[in-house]
Amino acid sequence: MAEQFQEPVVEQIYTLNLGPQHPSTHGVLRVLLDLDGEFIIKADPVIGYGHRGHEKMAENRTYKQFMPNSSRMDYLSGLLYNHGFVLAVERFAGVEVPERAKYIRVICAELNRISSHLLWFGTYIMDLGGFTPFLYCFDDRENILDILDRVTGSRLTYSYCRFGGVNRDLDGEFISMTRAFIERLRSRWTDYHNLVTKNVIFIHRTRDVGVITPELARQYGVVGPNLRACGIPFDVRKSEPYEVYDRFDFVIPTGTKGDALDRYNVRLEEMEQSCRIIEQALDQLPEGPHINEVAPFKVKPPRGEIYFAFESARGLTAYYLVSDGSPYPYRCHIRVPSFGNLQVLTEVFRGTLVADAISILGSIDVVIPEIDR
Amino acid sequence: MSYWKEIIEGGWSLVEGMRVTVRRLVRPVVTVQYPRKQLTLSPAYRGHIEFKVFPEIGTHRCIACGTCQRTCPSGVIKVQGVKDHARAPKVATHYMIDFTRCSLCGLCVECCPTQTLKYSTEYQLEEESRWDGVYDLMARLEERRT
Repeated sequence: MAEQFQEPVVEQIYTLNLGPQHPSTHGVLRVLLDLDGEFIIKADPVIGYGHRGHEKMAENRTYKQFMPNSSRMDYLSGLLYNHGFVLAVERFAGVEVPERAKYIRVICAELNRISSHLLWFGTYIMDLGGFTPFLYCFDDRENILDILDRVTGSRLTYSYCRFGGVNRDLDGEFISMTRAFIERLRSRWTDYHNLVTKNVIFIHRTRDVGVITPELARQYGVVGPNLRACGIPFDVRKSEPYEVYDRFDFVIPTGTKGDALDRYNVRLEEMEQSCRIIEQALDQLPEGPHINEVAPFKVKPPRGEIYFAFESARGLTAYYLVSDGSPYPYRCHIRVPSFGNLQVLTEVFRGTLVADAISILGSIDVVIPEIDR
Repeated sequence: MSYWKEIIEGGWSLVEGMRVTVRRLVRPVVTVQYPRKQLTLSPAYRGHIEFKVFPEIGTHRCIACGTCQRTCPSGVIKVQGVKDHARAPKVATHYMIDFTRCSLCGLCVECCPTQTLKYSTEYQLEEESRWDGVYDLMARLEERRT
C-alpha cells in the first residue's frame, strides 16, 4: 500500500541563461544551459550580441583605413591583429619591410601577448573566487601598457603597424624599460606559483575539469594554448614562421591531459617563452629605418586572393583577402580562434557541474567581440 | 592517511599564499592618487589633432588639399579653403573635426603633405552635449596665438 502513496519522481529539466550579462562570461556571451539538478545536460552558446560588421566595413574602405578596425576585434591583443593584417597585405601587394621594423613588430607583438595572458590569468582566478592575484596581474600588465604607450601612443587599440614598417621608432628608454620589465616579471613567478599554482582550492577546481581530448580538439578546430594543452605542439610561429620568428630559439609548451590545469600551465609557460623571444629580439635589433619610405601611399594589391595565418594570443588567426585590383578589398574574411574554442564547449559542458562550467569557460579564454566582430 | 595528508598540504598552501599577500602589504604602494598627483604623459600620446604653428610664418601651413578628409576612416574631418587670387596658393579657412567619432588611428597626421597637423596632449575632456565634441581647429589656433 505504501508504494501507492509515494510521490512519483518527475524528471524536470531546468533551463538557465548564463549571461549575457553574467560577470564571468567575459563580454556578452549567453550560454543556454539545460540542467538536471546541478548537472548540465546540454549547453548552447548564443553569440552575436556584439556584432559590428567589421568584415563588411572592410569592403567600403581602403586597406589603410581598415587598420583601426583590426585592433578593435580582439581588444586584448590588438597589436597582434594589426601585425597580422599588415603582414597579409604586405605579402599580397609585395611591399618591402626593413629589418628593424620586423624586429620592432615582433617585440611589441610579444609584449602584447604577455599582457593578454596576464589579463586572462587575473580574470580566470577571479572567476574561481580569488581576487588578490587579479590586482598583482594588473600591476604587471600596467607596466606593459606603459611600455607600449611610450612607443605606440595608446594603451589598448594601438594602430601601430603600417604597410612597410611601423609608425614610430623605438628609443633607448623603451629598450631599458622592456628589459627591466622582463626581469621584474621573472621575479614574480615564485609569487604567482605560491599564491595560485600550489593553492589547494585552485587545484581542486581545475584538475580533471573540462578535459578536451586531441580528437575533440581536431573536430572542433580548437587552436592556441587550448590545443597545446591537449598535447599537440601546434604553433603557427613554429610550423609556418612568418616574420623573423625562425631566427629565435623558443619552445612550444604542451600539456598532457587537456584539462583546465594544463591550459593554465601552458599559458604561464608561454609568457616565459615570449620573454625569451623579446630578449633575443632586443639583442639582435639591427639599426636602420623603421619604415619603408618608398612604400606606396595607396596600396593596390593585384587581382587575386590571399590567406594568411598568424598566431594571436588565442591561437591560429587568419585573414582571407580578395582583391579585384582596386584600393578596396573585395572581401575580407577573418578566421578567429575563439569561435572554434567556444564551439567545443557544447561537448565539454555535458555532464559537468554549473560551478565547473564557470571554470571551463574561464580557462579557454574566449574574447566575445572577436567572435561577433 | 591521504585524507590527513591532503588537509595538511592544503593548509600549508594557504599559509604560503597568505605569506605572499602579507609580504606585499609592507611594500610601497603602486597606485597614484589621481587628481592630486598625475603621471607624466607618454611622448607618443595621441590626442585629437591640432594645427602646428610654424615660427617662420607665424601660423599653420594647411593648404586645404583635403587629403586628411579623404584618408580618415570615420569621416571626422571637414576642411575648406579659398584662393585669394588666381596665382595664390589655397589657404584653409575652416577646419572642423568631430572628435566623438575619431578612432585615433593617426592616418591624417601621417598623410599631411605639409606636416601641419600634430596630436594634442589634452586628455581631460568633458562635455555637456555631443556638439561640444566638434572642434573648430581654426578657432583653437587663434586662441593659442593670442
